[in-house]
Amino acid sequence: MEILKCEGVRKVYGSGGNQVTALNGIELSVSKGEFVAIVGASGSGKSTLLHILGSVDKPTEGKVMIDGTDLSKLNQTEAAIFRRRKVGIVYQFYNLIPTLTVRKNILMPLALDKKKPNQEYFEKVVNSLGIAEKLDALPSQLSGGQQQRVAIARSLIYRPALLLADEPTGNLDQKNSKEIIDMLKLSNRNLEQTILLITHDEKVALEAERIITVEDGCIISDERRR
Amino acid sequence: MWKDYSADFLKNNRSSSLSVRIAAFISALLLSLLCGLFYNAWKYEVERIQQEEGGWHSRILGEFGEEDIETVKNFANVKDALVNKKGSDSTELVLDIYFDDMDSVFSDTPHIAQQIRVPSEKIVYNYELLAMYLVRDSSDTAPRLLFPMFILITLGASFSLIVIIHNSFAVSMNARIHQFGIFSSIGATPKQIKTCLLQEAAALCTVPILAGNLLGIAGSMGLMQLSNILLGSDIPGRHEVVPGYHPLVLVLTLLVSVLTIWISAWLPARNLSKLTPLQAIRNTGELQLKRRKNSHFLSLLFGVEGELAGNALKAQRKALRTASLSLISALMAFMVMQCFFTLSRISTRETYFERYQEVWDVMVTVKDADVDTFEEMERIQGINGLENAVIYQKAMAKRMITGEEISEEMKSFGGFSHAPGNYVTQTDGGWLVDAPIIILDDNSFLAYCEQIGIAQQLHGAVILNQIRDVTNPDFRHPDFMPYIKAPGTGENAASILRQSGNEEMTARIPVLAYTEKVPVLREEYATLNYYELVHFIPAALWKEIKGQIGGVEKDSYIRVLGKENASLEELNMLQDELGQILSGKYTIESENRIREYEINNKQIQGMMAIFGGFCILLAIIGIGNVFSNTLGFVRQRKREFARYMSIGMTPKELRKMFCTEALVIAGKPILISLPLVIIATGYMLKASYMGVGEFMAEAPVTPILLFMLAILGSVALAYYLAWRNVRKISLAEVLRDDTMM
Repeated sequence: MEILKCEGVRKVYGSGGNQVTALNGIELSVSKGEFVAIVGASGSGKSTLLHILGSVDKPTEGKVMIDGTDLSKLNQTEAAIFRRRKVGIVYQFYNLIPTLTVRKNILMPLALDKKKPNQEYFEKVVNSLGIAEKLDALPSQLSGGQQQRVAIARSLIYRPALLLADEPTGNLDQKNSKEIIDMLKLSNRNLEQTILLITHDEKVALEAERIITVEDGCIISDERRR
Repeated sequence: MWKDYSADFLKNNRSSSLSVRIAAFISALLLSLLCGLFYNAWKYEVERIQQEEGGWHSRILGEFGEEDIETVKNFANVKDALVNKKGSDSTELVLDIYFDDMDSVFSDTPHIAQQIRVPSEKIVYNYELLAMYLVRDSSDTAPRLLFPMFILITLGASFSLIVIIHNSFAVSMNARIHQFGIFSSIGATPKQIKTCLLQEAAALCTVPILAGNLLGIAGSMGLMQLSNILLGSDIPGRHEVVPGYHPLVLVLTLLVSVLTIWISAWLPARNLSKLTPLQAIRNTGELQLKRRKNSHFLSLLFGVEGELAGNALKAQRKALRTASLSLISALMAFMVMQCFFTLSRISTRETYFERYQEVWDVMVTVKDADVDTFEEMERIQGINGLENAVIYQKAMAKRMITGEEISEEMKSFGGFSHAPGNYVTQTDGGWLVDAPIIILDDNSFLAYCEQIGIAQQLHGAVILNQIRDVTNPDFRHPDFMPYIKAPGTGENAASILRQSGNEEMTARIPVLAYTEKVPVLREEYATLNYYELVHFIPAALWKEIKGQIGGVEKDSYIRVLGKENASLEELNMLQDELGQILSGKYTIESENRIREYEINNKQIQGMMAIFGGFCILLAIIGIGNVFSNTLGFVRQRKREFARYMSIGMTPKELRKMFCTEALVIAGKPILISLPLVIIATGYMLKASYMGVGEFMAEAPVTPILLFMLAILGSVALAYYLAWRNVRKISLAEVLRDDTMM
């Protein structure tokens, strides 16, 4: 079942002589339950692609469909609600709300929809991520690895169609990096979560079942590993 | 750094430095207003002293001739020496001396006196005037509080302004910590960073300081004019203010403003320059909480947006502390002032103006005049537009009350057991009480006899047989009861009055009646001393007994009632005519009920304008703090909002959160101050024995609501302006920032 489809996606920044083409004709299709890594050098356009897939930014040209929704047609409010319900984004620098506890950070997407969490699922997520003991702490009281686990828990709480991870290990040491990747793999396997991981670390990319390489805003290779 | 970085930064980021400019402007405005008002208050005091005492610096009393006066005039540093004709008499001259340099008044005057052979005891200094020029002498022990008060208020104002503006600078500077971290990492020294920030502050604040100062000068002049309009010069002892300004005041104001703003900028600049490059680069300036906080109430009311707003406010608590305190104080002061003056107005109107509306229109105090020898009454009675007039004089005597005489009702509240020793003296024969005597002109006394329904006669006294239950402290609704038991009248009834201070001297006067009705006079009886036994007697009787008991006051009073519903103009005419009849022979002082009522209202309005101005200043400080915070936090809040948006918060939800914040900032002072004001007003009502309904009928709801709305509106405006900037978020751009943690 196809969960993500990009057709001729182009993104151009600036105007006139200062134009920079970040993405140039991206064609991409991802099926439900896939674990895809997008790799590329700095400035290749992989983060721009992630922002467009996360409805944080809009393509200059082309069409992006996620779980049946055309992202180019969403207004600001619809895009926000889409982000809340359909995609979970994990950032390199965690992006947690510093004034809320870990529990509230994780439940935030549900709280915005005035929904009560499924307690069983919530416990399953926090236990599998190993943060059950830290639920009442503030983000500033956690280590980088712990904060990234909280970010992953938050991205999973709404059971999104797509989990987007932007260099999730970029700010972590080797041990924590491995643990985070293991957790993403676990959620992919156990929850059948579709994951799109952006990284420049080849070792991390090798953990994915499909590796897409981006260069100068174009996909130059799409390799299925298993 | 200035040329390469700051100048361009300021040029390209005008809006981000707006809060600093506004803060500097408000500070300069307030300080300039304060200094301008002080200067005018000082000038007014000097003028008042010169009008009342004269402008002389020292004065020599004694016998001296023209030659001596010339000697004084020729003394170095003496500007002039004039004989004060008003103060001089045939035996002693008064020589007023004016100096060029007032500092030498206390050292030079004794030398001058010595030269003209006058002992130093005959020297008088104009201490009050000299103190206004900070020339003090150890022998002048009177507290001269104008300058100390000014210094104290200015220091207080500067301190509070430092707290506010310091926060504005801090918010503005902290938004750029990251950039300064980069500077530091490439070798900028803390001193260079500090200097750069202070240079920026100077560039930003110069124009606002000058503009604030000019507006402050105009404001102080305007306020002085306003005081003339509100208070006029009708109030005894007050003269019209001539607003003025002095270049030295401008120099002082600029100095205080610059110093205040410099300290405000230096404090955060110092902190920022101390940060290590790593600390600075990693610092995003985003709102943080040190400990876990819950906003249950806001969460319950406004959901998750309420919780986020509550946490954001808690994180900004330090920055908003001044706003919070100022707004609470302003609201408290304003509401208490409004309630107090309303209560005072109702009370004065009921106990004074309404009570005496049908009693008097013009009151004349005739100095050194006795009622029994006063001959102008007939001419006064003949004035056109006059309904009736009474002349009376007051005297004080004593009277003995025996145990048997005390009424049963008075005994029921303890008789004299509650009486203080200074009012009632217990003796073997009973209790010696005060017996004030009101001596009415004979015609008025006869009219009084008719009023209480007894035969008209002039050979006795009418006694006010009334005492209030002293155990009931409600002065507004006192319980009156008979003082003396079943008093008899007739030929044998008599009252023995004793001379106050020499009780052996007595006068036995017949009692025509004991009554509870009083003659129509502007007098209150037994207000301080509840145990007074008031005697009303005719002037003819007083003539007979005054030699025995004396104790009469020097002045007499004429109570005049004009025609019904007389206008102010009619009363003014009445007053003028009374003046024409009396002023040739007597020294008089006269009051006019309507004018007095107007003066009273003006005074209340004037006081309310002054206190109201003070409350508005407090509110401006608070609102200024809110503005400086909201205009300064745009960058950090953009980050925060981007974070919320990245996990799915809609612009509508963000707006709700922002509105909740504004509502809490403006609503919290109202919620805190309102119950306190209710308690304070309840206490005032209790102390003045006024009913809640009576007060509520005239409660100052409208001005209080307007004040609250003004605060709510100002905070809403501050947040609206901030929202206009904050909402323009490019999520992708913010997320690209690698400091987004």
